Amino acid sequence: MQSFAIHPFETPDTAADLRAQVRRIVSECEADWDATDRANSWSVADPAFSARLGDEGLVGMIWPKRYGGHERDPLERNIVLEELLAAGAPVGAHWIADRQTGPLLLRYGTEEQREKYLPGMAAGRAYACIGLSEPGAGSDLAGVKTTARKTDSGWIINGQKVWTTGAHIAHAILALVRTEPESERQAGLSQLLFDMDTPGVMVRPIINLAGQHDFNEVFFEDVEVPHDALVGEEGNGWRQVTAELALERSGPERYLSSYALLRYLIAEQGSDKAIQPLIGKLAAELWTLRQMSMSTAAKLAQGEDPAGEAAIVKDLGNSYEQQVPLAIQAVLDADFDMHDGSDLARTLTLLLQTAPSFSLRGGTREILRGIIARGLGLR
Amino acid sequence: MSENRSLLCDTATTLLRDATDIHALEEAGFATLLVGEADGGFGGDWGDVFAVLRIAGYEGFDLDIAGLILDPVPGDSLEQGAFAKVSLAAGALDRILEMSIDYVNTREQFGRPLAKFQAVQQSLAILAVEAAAVNSAGAGAALAFDHGDAAFEIAAAKMRTNQAIGIGTAIAHQAHGAIGFTQEYPLHPFTRRLNQWRMEFGNDRYWSEKLGAAVVDLGADGLWDEITRRSDRNTG
Ligand SMILES: Cc1cc2nc3c(=O)[nH]c(=O)nc-3n(C[C@H](O)[C@H](O)[C@H](O)COP(=O)(O)OP(=O)(O)OC[C@H]3O[C@@H](n4cnc5c(N)ncnc54)[C@H](O)[C@@H]3O)c2cc1C
Repeated sequence: MQSFAIHPFETPDTAADLRAQVRRIVSECEADWDATDRANSWSVADPAFSARLGDEGLVGMIWPKRYGGHERDPLERNIVLEELLAAGAPVGAHWIADRQTGPLLLRYGTEEQREKYLPGMAAGRAYACIGLSEPGAGSDLAGVKTTARKTDSGWIINGQKVWTTGAHIAHAILALVRTEPESERQAGLSQLLFDMDTPGVMVRPIINLAGQHDFNEVFFEDVEVPHDALVGEEGNGWRQVTAELALERSGPERYLSSYALLRYLIAEQGSDKAIQPLIGKLAAELWTLRQMSMSTAAKLAQGEDPAGEAAIVKDLGNSYEQQVPLAIQAVLDADFDMHDGSDLARTLTLLLQTAPSFSLRGGTREILRGIIARGLGLR
Repeated sequence: MSENRSLLCDTATTLLRDATDIHALEEAGFATLLVGEADGGFGGDWGDVFAVLRIAGYEGFDLDIAGLILDPVPGDSLEQGAFAKVSLAAGALDRILEMSIDYVNTREQFGRPLAKFQAVQQSLAILAVEAAAVNSAGAGAALAFDHGDAAFEIAAAKMRTNQAIGIGTAIAHQAHGAIGFTQEYPLHPFTRRLNQWRMEFGNDRYWSEKLGAAVVDLGADGLWDEITRRSDRNTG
């Protein structure tokens, strides 16, 4: 038996140019980036930076040119993403549209939907949010209760989403809703894509434990959208969502989201011989995760479905990123001052608070391990 | 996998399952695995070495096939030895994963197979993740050896392997219960060897001090530059 199918990541010819391009953009913009933002990079929204990336051709990179994309190789996109994340660039605004919503539209959307949304997304100027979770539907997503009733002129949506990242800046929401009255569980669900400024859509902020505003509650009260808000097939929402979730599991954001912390540790404490072994250990784990994530990216690029590998990468990446701040906290010298305002102290303070979320967002640790166990033939 | 590699793996599997002395392997040409075809060798690369040693680890092969393949090869013998242990461990971890899966699917308690208990499923998932990490690390290190400089990669891979062995062998034993603690049951030949390999060719202390110092020399920005520069050598 083989626990992990290895797919070689063949570096594209353009890798050096792409890295240089991203590093140039970063060096031109980074003066404004605070250390704590860098340690949280795909959660931080900076519309000007997203627009700049759009102008540089680095959003919607692999989409068709007729929708504003650039028809680049998926592995080229992987290189751009990892460069941005390693630099701690604020990529949060366009992140979901680029990673999830755009690709889903290319797969299931109508021509009209693609023409309406993709060019703005590829320009780094139109953002999307993901409306899956509800108060009664967390890990058990089949518990979705929000309904969309079909009328002659369209759909009327009622219900509520929660934990919706970026709903307060997004232009559109892709919501999983119950389109078949009285249907249960996975059946009768569909995906609707509509504008956040549609009358009846209300966003209420939820402030996280670190005082940040990233996620929200989103309420729908008799929200009327046209028939062509439907993405894909009516009643096929469950299948489509499962495919969508796989896209978000194995990327470099699963082990690089807080890379800045390791950088600050090296910069500020690297000369302490007692800390060097930890730096070595964290570098070893990071390097290994990168091998795994790149192999999964290569498999995805060949058109294969790496659902099992992706769950493995996310689980291991989450565990790694959760362990980093704790391990650093454990080895710092007793004189280290958490209130001295240094980049290390501030990012460490933040990550010690936010790390628990890593194994919740995008599927919890237990759910991922359930997926892995199913792959092993245990369930 | 290339056609040559899968042929090689088939041969290795057959031979390693049955061979009782190393000469059979020597005759089959494994001693010249890394020698170029022009010089009468197999003309393999380090990915082939990884594949063969991984099978040796998986089959629980007890003779020094790593020495047979690597002794004639110039280079840093500590790095090469560490690579051999990583490769063997990749196979052995996959094997104890397989044994654990088979066991919990068969053994019944509380009226059903152990595999039906979520606690058991989740712990075997962790074993699978650790085995996956070692298999990926070994494959990544092999590519670096092909480029003639694997100093960073082998340090990382051996350290990650040591970590996985600690976690993985404990899970395999836990899943097997008391039967896995017997001399008769064939789990310990794998887990005892695995635990021994953690100490050989560099334990965690050795590699973490070495890699840690090297990373600090690279500097805060240099680490990422170095990681990407090294993997960008893999142009396929
Ligand atoms: C920072 C952040 C951003 C998010 N962004 C979005 C977003 O943009 N859009 C969106 O739709 N959602 C989003 N979510 C929600 C996320 O998808 C859910 O938090 C997640 O699916 C878990 O649901 P829950 O929080 O209701 O926890 P619950 O499902 O109630 O789970 C609580 C605990 O019980 C465990 N558990 C549940 N079921 C089982 C089981 N069968 N077996 C074993 N253990 C189980 C879970 O693993 C978890 O540890 C976000 C969450 C976070 C933290």
